Amino acid sequence: MMRQLVALTRRELLRIARNPQAIITSLMLPILYLLLFGQGFNFPYPSSDISGAPNYFSYFAAGMAGFVAVTATLFLGANVIFDRLFGVLKRNSATPASATSIFSSRLLAGSVQPIGLAFLVLGLAALLGHLGLAGLTVTASLGVVGAIEIVAAIIILSLMFASLFLAIGFSLQQPQTYFAVVNAINLPVLLTSAALYPFGRLPWWLKNIASYNPVTLAVEVIRLNLFAGSGSYYTYTAGVYLAGLGAWAVAMFVLAVLLARRALAPAK
Amino acid sequence: MTSTEAIQVTGLSKTYNQTVKAVDQIAFSVHPGEAFGFLGPNGAGKTTTVAMLTGLLRPTAGTAIVDGVDVFANPTLVKKKIGLVFQESTADSDLSGRENLELAAALFDVPRSETRARVDGLLERMQIGDAADRLTKTYSGGMRRRLELAVGIIHSPAVLFLDEPTLGLDPQGRAGFWRYVQELRKEHGMTVFLTTHYLDEADGICDRLAIIDHGHIVATGTPSELKDRVGGDVVTIRPAQPDPKVETVLAAVPGVLSVTPQDGAYRVKCPKGDALIPVLVEACYKAGFGLSGVSLKRPSLDEVFLEFTGREFREDEGASATDRAVRIGQVAQAFGRGRR
Repeated sequence: MMRQLVALTRRELLRIARNPQAIITSLMLPILYLLLFGQGFNFPYPSSDISGAPNYFSYFAAGMAGFVAVTATLFLGANVIFDRLFGVLKRNSATPASATSIFSSRLLAGSVQPIGLAFLVLGLAALLGHLGLAGLTVTASLGVVGAIEIVAAIIILSLMFASLFLAIGFSLQQPQTYFAVVNAINLPVLLTSAALYPFGRLPWWLKNIASYNPVTLAVEVIRLNLFAGSGSYYTYTAGVYLAGLGAWAVAMFVLAVLLARRALAPAK
Repeated sequence: MTSTEAIQVTGLSKTYNQTVKAVDQIAFSVHPGEAFGFLGPNGAGKTTTVAMLTGLLRPTAGTAIVDGVDVFANPTLVKKKIGLVFQESTADSDLSGRENLELAAALFDVPRSETRARVDGLLERMQIGDAADRLTKTYSGGMRRRLELAVGIIHSPAVLFLDEPTLGLDPQGRAGFWRYVQELRKEHGMTVFLTTHYLDEADGICDRLAIIDHGHIVATGTPSELKDRVGGDVVTIRPAQPDPKVETVLAAVPGVLSVTPQDGAYRVKCPKGDALIPVLVEACYKAGFGLSGVSLKRPSLDEVFLEFTGREFREDEGASATDRAVRIGQVAQAFGRGRR
């Protein structure tokens, strides 16, 4: 099984590398938000409203680094649908490769690339500050543990959304339906998270919803490690947020595995 | 359940949505090393049968043993033992030909020490060695088909399933494809199960055939046996004006084995059609019936199909007459076999 998993993961990575348009497209939305939304809403907020970040743009940039895990995994489910339409999935199903291998290879390959993209977003946000625009200012001394926590948050968030989008991809037959469904998920996920809004200013009900949003959980881990003193604005430590994020990821993983196994089982 | 046959099928049925019977209680066996053809028009149940025999589709009823393994009890083990070439291209267009084969080798767990040699060998044999490192999206239709075949046999399967593998290929491409299949059979003693709606391919390639129509197997045998069952040549007499009495006139001619009305004409079976045509024509004219057409057919699988299903093999689902005429020669040449 391990050999099959490695071979299929290699195939997915080659496919992603040979179609950079998907990666570029997945970066467009967070970068556009950074350039427009982040700059336009960079008003002076009290630290308590923006979790101890030095300014709104820095707060927002951390949010976009998390949000890129959503946009960069969106195409995974579409790939499943196109592979089904073009017979690739049928070809794989006709081999002894297990459904778990076929699913896991897509999950692994899809969950790796958002890490680089998230740091690219953070780097670009910092660069903007040197171009006379509002930029990301890191006020905490980011150590190895902090960097690992950020990477872990992005990986777990990517795994969670990769599982979700793969689950949708394995469940649907038509790309049009898929894109309609993910568009219906994409924006509400962003708008009910703390990636965008100054958290301290949210109404109580939205604050409660945002607190359980997986994007919020990941973004809070990033902010905790980028902004000095932000810990005083958060209820829990990074480890607790990572654990919550992990619970989300496990739930989505189980759902996706079940749907993938059903989709790849001999047809009835 | 065990079987010494390469494929043993009993009471196999598939009903979709509890109403559409795609395959209905079929039973047949395929001997080891044999090329067995499933012949029938589109929608006859060929692809459904292949999907069930390769573990891709659950049957509604029945059993299937492939190379000694119960397909429905252990589909994963069966998949290790078989190769499958689909009617459509399933090669990964974002990978090169070599990468497609390497992936297939890994999925079928071909020993790592042998993978390189097998991949290189198949690329050369299928004449895609020069394009081995090009993405398959740049391949021609013929190259893609040959790659599909290479992927299907990378693990040296005991049974190779070919589901209308030459669909859409030009005559040269078809002949080349079947030449490779024949070579593989000779070298490895591989059992081949193929579906086709090209009668000439079935005739030239298969040791035995099953004719399937509307989900039922209506005849099984070697191409020669099936043609013999038709009972000789067939002369088709078309009267200028339809009249039921023509049948009586034709049936009374000495040497006529049977007369069957068909679409305003009469199919007259007889041992030597060319010699009997003048006699049949004279008999009609003497009885006062003018004719608008007379034709002679030697026994062919078209006739076999008509005999067992009661209707013409739908030409629009096969190839054009010219295309088929060219292919008959090429396929027969590729297999070193003539047609009766």
